[in-house]
Amino acid sequence: MICIFKFRLRLVLLVVILMAAAPMHAEYLRIQLRVYGLDCGLCARGVAASVQRLGGVNSVDVSLKTGLLEIVLSPGNHFRMIDLRRVIRENGFRSLEATVTAVGDFNASSKFEVAGSGETYDVPRPAARGHEPLELTFSVH
Amino acid sequence: MMFGPRVVYGFRPNVQISFAAPFYITQGEHPTGRSTAMMPSIPEAEVLVGWRFYHATPSVSTRNEATFYAGGSATTQSLPVSNSPPLQSEPALYVALAAGRVARTYDIWVGAGYQRYGEWESGEHDHRSNTLLGSLAVGWRPPFLNKGYPKPDVRFFWETTGEEVGMARSRRTPGSTGTGHGHDAVPTFPLPSRSAVIPPFPLPPTEILRNSGGATVFSGPSVLCTYKSVAFQGGILFAAFEQLNGRQLHEDVRVMVGFTYYILGRRK
Repeated sequence: MICIFKFRLRLVLLVVILMAAAPMHAEYLRIQLRVYGLDCGLCARGVAASVQRLGGVNSVDVSLKTGLLEIVLSPGNHFRMIDLRRVIRENGFRSLEATVTAVGDFNASSKFEVAGSGETYDVPRPAARGHEPLELTFSVH
Repeated sequence: MMFGPRVVYGFRPNVQISFAAPFYITQGEHPTGRSTAMMPSIPEAEVLVGWRFYHATPSVSTRNEATFYAGGSATTQSLPVSNSPPLQSEPALYVALAAGRVARTYDIWVGAGYQRYGEWESGEHDHRSNTLLGSLAVGWRPPFLNKGYPKPDVRFFWETTGEEVGMARSRRTPGSTGTGHGHDAVPTFPLPSRSAVIPPFPLPPTEILRNSGGATVFSGPSVLCTYKSVAFQGGILFAAFEQLNGRQLHEDVRVMVGFTYYILGRRK
């Protein structure tokens, strides 16, 4: 009885380790997003709080003068750009271009896919590369 | 003096609902009309739904928007005043429209609203004055206060508000002089509670109160300061124009202070 329990425990641990090793999380690292319509401290605070609630966000800084959101993400986050743009819109503002630093790889369609997020971008492929995931910084609109 | 608590909840990006319930904390003469576009000036519980039907963000730190408000109110407090019986007001409807352009340096807002009480046509009950109001506010944030987030955000406004207050009507009671609720109205006793009286005879006729209503314009400075999740606002408006019907109390100044707490959720 004890042996069966230990076997099941090992099996569960093995499954957990395998799941952790799989690229289930997105690897956005930093995002700089321009937002139109931010005019006051409360607007900035509301947007920052909403972005913080998305999860995986380490810090959010808002510049009212430039309208830039600087978002630093935690390792292993489940962040998606589509969710970020949705909360900006729900707060009554408009998101525009972004500068993104993320880890990912080029898929069969030659698009850069941010690891685990399913989000792809048309980014120039670097000339020389190995088989490891790439960390790229690029602009998106 | 009045205290006016108000709760606002935005359950959609462009739709919000607000509940206001101002009440007297001192007795005496209080102005008719409305305290602000979003706050009655007599003790009423008012529910308003706001729909931001236009919204545009043309550039960094600039926003244009327009919102339509509609709602209703019912009396919550009916205290005797110094020289007349209180009017038992029927429920009222209120509609308003506000539009503005907000930016880091200048703001401009215009608005108009109309509050209408029930029971004017039937002529059987008291009727409080209907109110038509309009307002214009110009805001300015001086360069030395144009700080970034999260420093305190301060801006100054010059507000001008005008209102056209209609005639009120009182159900005539035996013993009253029938001259209304102005200075020269000397009723001998207050109106009994309507729910407590079952009249054995037809209701007495009503009369239009000559000393009610009029047109006024107030103008003056105000300030809005926000920091973290709180906002403080205050203003003082001076009478710029006053054309009252009959003999009523003259108003020189209106003062408003407000405190708001915004529940914005978790923040690291």
